[in-house]
This record gives sequence, structure tokens and C-alpha cells, in this order.
Amino acid sequence: MSLAPVSQSKALPLSINVQLDYQQFSLELAQDLSLQGITGIFGHSGSGKSTLLRIIAGLEKQISGSVTLDNIILNDSVKSQYIKTEQRDIGLVFQDARLFPHLTVFGNLKFAVKRCQNPTLNFEEIIKLTELGALLHKQVDELSGGQKQRVALARAILAEPKLLLLDEPLSALDRKAKTSLLKLMLHIQQTLQLPMLYVSHSLDELQQVCDNLLVLSLGKVIGYGGIHQMIHQLNYAPQNNTLQSNQTEKQTDDFIHQQTSLSLAVKTLDNGHGLAVLALNAQDEIYLPALENHNIDEKLRCFILASDISISLIEPFSSSIVNHLLAKITAITVRGNKVLITAVCASEKNSSIKDNAEMNNVIRNNVINSIDEKANIEDRDGQAFFINISAFSQQKLALSVGQDIYLQFKAGAVRTYLY
Amino acid sequence: MINPDLLALFTTLKMAALTTVILLIIGTPLAWYLAKMKSRFKVLIEAIVALPLVLPPTVLGFYLLIAFSPQYLPGQIWQEITGQQLAFSFSAIVIGSVLYSMPFVVQPLQKAFEQLGEPLIEAGAMLGAGPFDRFFNIVLPITKASFITAASLGFAHTVGEFGVILMIGGNIPGETRVLSIALFDHVEAFDYAKAHILAISLLAGSMVLLASIYLLNRPNTSKVKSK
Repeated sequence: MSLAPVSQSKALPLSINVQLDYQQFSLELAQDLSLQGITGIFGHSGSGKSTLLRIIAGLEKQISGSVTLDNIILNDSVKSQYIKTEQRDIGLVFQDARLFPHLTVFGNLKFAVKRCQNPTLNFEEIIKLTELGALLHKQVDELSGGQKQRVALARAILAEPKLLLLDEPLSALDRKAKTSLLKLMLHIQQTLQLPMLYVSHSLDELQQVCDNLLVLSLGKVIGYGGIHQMIHQLNYAPQNNTLQSNQTEKQTDDFIHQQTSLSLAVKTLDNGHGLAVLALNAQDEIYLPALENHNIDEKLRCFILASDISISLIEPFSSSIVNHLLAKITAITVRGNKVLITAVCASEKNSSIKDNAEMNNVIRNNVINSIDEKANIEDRDGQAFFINISAFSQQKLALSVGQDIYLQFKAGAVRTYLY
Repeated sequence: MINPDLLALFTTLKMAALTTVILLIIGTPLAWYLAKMKSRFKVLIEAIVALPLVLPPTVLGFYLLIAFSPQYLPGQIWQEITGQQLAFSFSAIVIGSVLYSMPFVVQPLQKAFEQLGEPLIEAGAMLGAGPFDRFFNIVLPITKASFITAASLGFAHTVGEFGVILMIGGNIPGETRVLSIALFDHVEAFDYAKAHILAISLLAGSMVLLASIYLLNRPNTSKVKSK
């Protein structure tokens, strides 16, 4: 197989309908996924995301229900069908790499090649793609954490699976190694068109590479959809209970930052002032610090934390803040003394923002049963932005649904995890 | 005519080698099964395997002698199949040695399999390796040191066996007369010179074997690691 980027392959259907009961944990999932590109699985500790990967891989056998991949039944407890792990044609990159310590890097890679039924990939080209040339004859205990995961990724690819599972492969790495491996994963996915299921508890990582996102909580699916839509839905989740593995867990690592998730084309790489410009719509632009390794018109994933955006009722011409956008409030969600404002910035050519009556229908203060409805309306009408303000500010500005406001945020508030 | 002590040495080595091979063949799956077993009966099987460690050899030898005699089923079956009596035969001392040295082979292997755990085996399965492939190409090379230890301990322990062999094998030259029995014979006959030769040979042999195990299993500290 050539390693030149290939055209988009057809989606790989995965159907999961399983139940699993352990003493202190139960999982009940029923979801059909259309695997194309990278599908993220997000959830906190104990949500069942790694268990789900193990079920798909065939490593968890004591399940009730069925798993079907590409119309082939992998597990079916009713029909007593079970395809062994080694016969499933599925790869898995583990959190801890799991390289064979008695083999060199080369030996580990060849282990996969020798067991591949119909090898089509060129070994040398995969080595080049994963930049492992200099490490081939090293012992695995001589490698750094990032190098080990690169070898594990290459080894999994060389087995030529039809689906690659990634179980938090970056969790033990430092930031530099994480970004490097994420870029590699993205490059591999685009080059080989290999569908991937990527488990992580880091929304920042998932936002950068995933096309779709499956959200799990306490062993159940609570959402599945496009990456930006799902991240926006999570903004409405009451973070103290919906996504947390248990009620006593502190809001530390598992805290979800409310944010606006964007995928925008690069318009200008450096406007002479150290700023790059992204095209939001026909008339609006977003400024961010100048970028390297990007091309004009290339899509860039970025996010803006809801706490980094402020609201003004008049256009802030006399402000040092470079980004200010006209938007219409579509929802106001009050939670204690904090308020989450949802505002849609519409293109002039497509400014069909719904009237107040429809907007009012989607206001459900303190409840999340209208999450899908909210997200859908935002997607239809333009780019949604999420803003955190205090209840005090909300009262002072007397904000209401349907009102026009100006959003303002610094260039530095537009963040991208990879660059 | 062959020197009786040399004949005893040959019988001993033959018995120990055969016992070790049999123990590796049956001890490996048993150790694997015990390492993976989660049933409450695991403790019972572990206790049975470890029994020769605490049981006086003569107790095991006594019951084996009864079982191997033509009056009882195992002895009868053996006699029907082979046409020969089992008690006081070379086969009897090999069977007795297998049972007596079992914990020395099973326990190190079981511990090694438990320490290895599932992670690397799962990694092998994810790369398309079947159960035998995983065992021979992942488990065996990684637990090689434990196999060397198990085989060496099984072999050395069999060489040093006395009580069980005396009970079920007696003292038949070329058949059941092994070094430890020959040594006992020399002492009984007050031939201390010959007894010394055998005792020192057994002592030196055991020392060399144990030193070799430790040497083989020593971590390679001379290897310069570069990151």
C-alpha cells in the first residue's frame, strides 16, 4: 500500500449493545457508531471508556449482549458467539505501551508484521512515517515514554487492523511528547484512512484530533455526535453530577472547562503584528497569536474558554482587545451565581437567527434535558459562543434571550493544543 | 565390569533428567492453570503440590509402595500394560521423583506466570498471536530465568533424593541404585573412602549447579544504557 494520502474510505459500522456487571461497577451501553476518522470516547474515571475498548477488543468476555463490527458479530451472548481477540482484526494501543521486553524495537515491530495475514504496508515507509529509524535496534527499556508509545503505535499499525483502538496512550507523557504523538496520530489517520477509537479524559486532546465524540458517564452513553457539537453540549452538563464518577470526587483533573470549540480556516498566517487570522464567516475574523507549520485555508482546531470571553452592549472600538463579534443571545443558563450565556454569531448571508419565542423555548435554567435542542439550533444558525459571567453582571446588563451583544476576547484567549 | 558407583551415577543422571523433562511437561500447564485460577479449590491444589516439601519422604514412599504393588489398581494397570511389576523398578523411582520434586518446578513457574500477568499476553493477542504463539514467543522468553531455576531445582532435588527411592525402588544396581543409596551402602559397610568420594561429588555437583543458576539469572549489570 502506498503511503500517499488516500481518499476518504467508507465508514465502518460498529454496533454495541452490552451489559457488564462487576461488584462495584456496571456498564450498560447501546449505541451504533459510524466509524470514520477519529472517534473520541470521553468520560471520567470509572465511566467505562476503557472497559468499552476492552469489550470491542474481545479482552472482556463476561458480557451480556452483542458487539458487531462491519456487520460481523464479534460477541453475542444469546447465540453464544465469540470471535477470539487475535482473530478480530482490531488493534489496540495501551496506556502503558506494553512492548515486549525481550525484543528490540525492530523485534517488536516484526512481531506484528509476521502475524499480519495479508500485509500490504511497506515496513520501511511505516518506520519513516513514525520516525523510528534511529530507534530500531534499541532495547525497549532504553526508550523514553513518548518513544515507547510511538513504537506501540507503529506496532499496532503494522498488524494492519481494520480498526485501531487507543486507550489513553498519552496519559503518562509530558505536554511536548503528547502534542508530538497527537500530530503523528492525526497524520497516520489521514495517510492510512484507518478508523480510530480514541479514549481520553482530556477534552483538549480530543478536541484537536477527533471528528466525533462519544460521551460516557457511570457506564452509560450520555451523548454521541460531532466533536464541536458534543463539546458544546458538555457546557450545559451540571459538572457536579452528570459526568462525575462519584459524588465525592473533587473538581480537579476531571473538571470540564466550558468552552467554544472551533474549526476554522486560516486566512492570514501573520498580519505583520504577530497575529494569525481565522475566517469565522463571510465577514467576521478571529485573531490569534501567529502560527507556524500551517497553510492558508487549512482548517485549524482551536477553543476559547467561556471564562475568557466578556460581553459588551456597545461595540468596543476603543479597546485593546482585538476580537469583538456581534452575536445574538440564544440561551441563558443560570447555575447559582454563575451564568452561562450562549450567543450565536451569524454570517450576514445566513443571519436567520430565530425569534425570541423559539429561543425562549430552549431556556431551561438548571436542567439539561434540552441539550440536543440547544446545540442543534446553534449549529443551524451560525457559530455558537459560550460565555461565563457572574449573576451580578447578568442583572447589571439586563441580558435576555434574543438580545444583540458584542463578544470580546484577546487573541491569546484563542487556544490550540497542538500548536 | 562397570564400576558400581559409576553405574549409580548413570542411573541417577538418567532418573533426574527424565524426571525434569516430565516435570517441565506436566508442571508448566499445572503452574499456568494455578496462576490463572480464581476458584477456591486453588488453595487445595496448591497444598497438594506443596505437600512433599513438608511430608517425610518415607510417608510418600510408603503410600507409593502400596499403590505400586500388584495388589492395588495403579500397580495392576501398570502390570497389565507393560507386563512388568511397577514397584522396585526404574519407572517407579521416576514416578516417585516426579511427585516428590513437583513443588520445586511448579512453584517458581507459577510465581513467574503470576508476575507476568495478562498485559503482555493481551498485547500479543491484539497483534494476532494465538495461545501457543503467545506462550512460546512471549511467555517463555520472558520467564526463561524461572524455567532455568525450575528445571535446575527439580533436577538437583531429584539427584539428592533418598527416602522415597529407598521405599519404592530398593537397591537394585543399574535399575534403582542411585548415588544417595550407594553412599548409604558405603557408610553401612564402613567404606568411608568411597563414601567421601560420592559425598564430595554430590556436594560439588550441587554447588556448581546452584552457582550456575544464580549466574544465569543474575541481572545484566554490565550493560551500558544510553537514552
